[in-house]
Amino acid sequence: MPAPPSRIRNFSIIAHVDHGKSTLADRILDVTGALSERERVDQFLDKLELERERGITIKAQTVRLQYRTGDGAVYQLQLIDTPGHVDFNYEVSSSLRACEGALLVVDATQGVQAQTVANVYLALENDLEIVPVINKIDLPSADVDRAAQDIEQVIGLDCSGAVLASGKTGQGVAELLEAVISRIPPPQGDPAAPLRALVYDSWYDSYRGAVVNIRVFEGTLRKGDKILLMATRRTYEVTALGCFSPHPVALDELGPGEVGFVAASIKSVEDTKIGDTITLAARPASTPLPGFRVVKPMVFAGLFPTDAAQYEDLRDALSKLHLNDASFSFEPDTSEALGFGFRCGFLGLLHMEIVQERLEREYDIDLITTAPSVVYHAYTKGGDLVTVDSPSKMPLAGDVERVEEPIMKVTIHVPNEFVGAVVPLCEERRGIQLDITYPTPDHVVIVYELPLAEVILDFHDKLKSVSRGYASMDYELVGYRANDLVKLDILVNGEPLDALSVIVHRSAAYYQGRALASKLKELVPRQQYEVAIQAALGNKVISRVTVKALRKDVTAKCYGGDITRKRKLLEKQREGKRRMKSVGNIDMPQEAFLAVLKLET
Amino acid sequence: MSIGIPPWPIPPRELGVYVHFPWCLRKCGYCDFLSVALPREAIPVAAYTDAVLAELHARAPHVTMDRAAVGADGTEDPEGTSGNPSPVVRVASVYFGGGTPSLWTPRELGRVIAGVAGAFTVDPNVEITVECNPSSFSREQAESLLAVGANRVSIGVQGLDSGRLAFLERLHDGAQALAAVEAAVAARVPRIAADLIFGLPEQSAAAAASEARILAALPVTHLSAYALTIEPDTPFGDRARTGRLPLVSEELLADSFLAVSDTLVAAGLTHYEVSNYARGGHVSRHNLGCWRGQDYLGLGAGAWGTITDRTGRIRYRNTPSPERYVAGYAALGRSASRDPARWPAPWPGAVTEQEPIDAETALRERLMLGLRLAEGVDLVEAAAALGVAPFPRSRRAAIDRLTAQGRLSVDGGRLVIPRSAWLLADGTIADLI
Repeated sequence: MPAPPSRIRNFSIIAHVDHGKSTLADRILDVTGALSERERVDQFLDKLELERERGITIKAQTVRLQYRTGDGAVYQLQLIDTPGHVDFNYEVSSSLRACEGALLVVDATQGVQAQTVANVYLALENDLEIVPVINKIDLPSADVDRAAQDIEQVIGLDCSGAVLASGKTGQGVAELLEAVISRIPPPQGDPAAPLRALVYDSWYDSYRGAVVNIRVFEGTLRKGDKILLMATRRTYEVTALGCFSPHPVALDELGPGEVGFVAASIKSVEDTKIGDTITLAARPASTPLPGFRVVKPMVFAGLFPTDAAQYEDLRDALSKLHLNDASFSFEPDTSEALGFGFRCGFLGLLHMEIVQERLEREYDIDLITTAPSVVYHAYTKGGDLVTVDSPSKMPLAGDVERVEEPIMKVTIHVPNEFVGAVVPLCEERRGIQLDITYPTPDHVVIVYELPLAEVILDFHDKLKSVSRGYASMDYELVGYRANDLVKLDILVNGEPLDALSVIVHRSAAYYQGRALASKLKELVPRQQYEVAIQAALGNKVISRVTVKALRKDVTAKCYGGDITRKRKLLEKQREGKRRMKSVGNIDMPQEAFLAVLKLET
Repeated sequence: MSIGIPPWPIPPRELGVYVHFPWCLRKCGYCDFLSVALPREAIPVAAYTDAVLAELHARAPHVTMDRAAVGADGTEDPEGTSGNPSPVVRVASVYFGGGTPSLWTPRELGRVIAGVAGAFTVDPNVEITVECNPSSFSREQAESLLAVGANRVSIGVQGLDSGRLAFLERLHDGAQALAAVEAAVAARVPRIAADLIFGLPEQSAAAAASEARILAALPVTHLSAYALTIEPDTPFGDRARTGRLPLVSEELLADSFLAVSDTLVAAGLTHYEVSNYARGGHVSRHNLGCWRGQDYLGLGAGAWGTITDRTGRIRYRNTPSPERYVAGYAALGRSASRDPARWPAPWPGAVTEQEPIDAETALRERLMLGLRLAEGVDLVEAAAALGVAPFPRSRRAAIDRLTAQGRLSVDGGRLVIPRSAWLLADGTIADLI
């Protein structure tokens, strides 16, 4: 039997990277007796190696815990952990919608940190009840009063009832759980109403197919039910229901307020859209839950194996990764310079880096990644629309009537003191200001329209740096708009190198061309022959640099006493060459293909 | 138990012996070989000879016993005590390097040669080389060296222009350098090698070639021509780092290399290694053995050795301190340890660096050294002997690329860097190892 909603609490934890979120989560598992002694691996909730290394959570993790209060009542607590980066804002937002409240964890020695503010804004937008927790109070340098004051000032949250805790010693963890029960509202929902359950996460299991994490809002889901996914209009039969506690536990049904996973012989995660609503095929709900959005890749880049023989390996690896992450797309692509590879679409730059790193690390493929690009719409004089997801697909300048680029509505939350830094940043990125509002005197919401091309590369990094990390942003596509956009080509020894072309605004073309050519001069190593690098707009060369030929690269003496030292030097030199791609007869390092990302703007 | 096949391929049969002499009268600013400057009378030549002989007696049984143990008759001699030198190892060369080994008295040096002959089977055509400095070399000395068994001298001419020799901080001028070669000729030394350094400040390519031409006109059998290399831990290195050393452009170094090579080849020498030239087939047998991957026993302070036994290949370096070296072996004396468990350090502190060379590493070294030779390296054969794959994917791709660029040629299993691409050999080798 599902627990009655009054005995359920759904919550997530918001914290800065090293403010002890994972340790605190582990302590909660301890207190509720969820893990055996042997299983107390640190940070149980972060599963992927990459996530641990980068200190970010990519996939949401959910765990159901039983907690007996001081007065003997048993509650079902459901902790829903969330990813934390702008590339995955939609996923975060979906996870937060599965909760009624959130714990705001702040390090007592450091006060509120920037990333926390960004996530609190997101939680507030989703109407979550926020319980402040001051953590690490066991440390000698802990200053509880200052941390509380910080929370009140920066976030505007009343801290009179803040919970004081230490994830390390376990102090305050029981009080924390009591606060979850007393302050976070229980879920609502009629168990007899037509089913409406939110899909907030999915992953691929080689035995069960795509498995989804859901939060039931209304109605009841049972094993064997025929379900309808309302966005995709597909039906499936539920083969398994369960929850993580934190090990998987099979269940017969999920009722209102409950969180759990559903397997239904769904072939691929592509069919399980985050934010979709599950209902019963036999008795469907009249409307889906609000907030669904189709997530589309925004940023496209070419991935090419440095060694052509690894093309099939790359295809296999991409297919396998795609089983678990349907948010990136890939299709075969060829480049005159780089040969056979794939054009891949990503949610953002971090997403691209994650996929690239996983391919290299988990599948041992050496890759060349080309500079990321957005999708342009080129209209020819003949009236045809050409979808340009790679600069090389841009029609010849003479045939183009106009080029449109994707425009985003970018919403930035920032403390008041940084407004003066954020606005000029948006202006220099060809932004159009839509709105500036002050929900509280210190919390400012700035809304701009910005070309996506100006947002994807380093806008988020720049925004973080001008706001000392406090600003957060979210963006959504609002449409396409014509602009004076031109293709900037790079010629190497007179031959255009298609993988290095970029599409830029004409006003910046000269500057970018010169900057790109001189950056390439730094990045391309000296070779057997002189290498001429030119930047060109159409037939017009706007910049030329030369990488002088390498004349002498040989050690004079190599005798019995020199062998070890000499070998180690050459081995080091070899490591630097692993990610070199031979284009024509020129060795190009991976960095050269991403040179456009390294320009000072 | 072993089924009789050694886990390591049967090692090369030819052995080189390198003996280091760690003193000079003065240290040259560019030199990074191990050497301590001392007045001639302060150099403990006799004590050093005793120490080298003690080391030889400590090491020789180890070098021979494993070979004896896998000998054709199948009998084992694990203690190596039978006293008979193993016929499986044959010393092909002995090389006295330094430092300035011409400061060693021929009598003392002769004791080392005799010691080697007593400890190993020696090839009848053994090459025994002594490096000589023009400032401490004469016809009489050459004759004395021949008398104790040496048959090749290598003279550190380095240059013929007295101004440039002074820049190099040599103790001799151009005339003395030529006189040293003439002394060796007069003494009828069968093989005479000379060293030359080019790429000095304000030395044109033509000037470098001209010095090479003059040396080649003498009856020398071997020439080494080195581009001046600024090594970090030398006085020249310090001066370069602080901008107090005039620098030579890479273009000039490359042009000088080619000019010297063209000149010497035109004079009838064979350019058989990046920096080495031979006349009449008189290559340096000792160094060629090393470049072809043969073992070499290192003796003396700071000497490096590389020895293969049935547990694998190991490279070691003796303590670089002449005092510690002499004191250590003096204490050991004739009772030098033959305990194989101690290999390669006969006494604690005898060896300051050691490195096991696994089969993959050994193959990389074969490539690194062999590709510096005109003959190249037979990769397929070397890999087969070591039991490793010759063509992993990345190496195959590099071979294709380098071949297309004209930096490598392939003949069956043999890889060769064409002489025209030797100037870029390091990058080529880095791609292949």
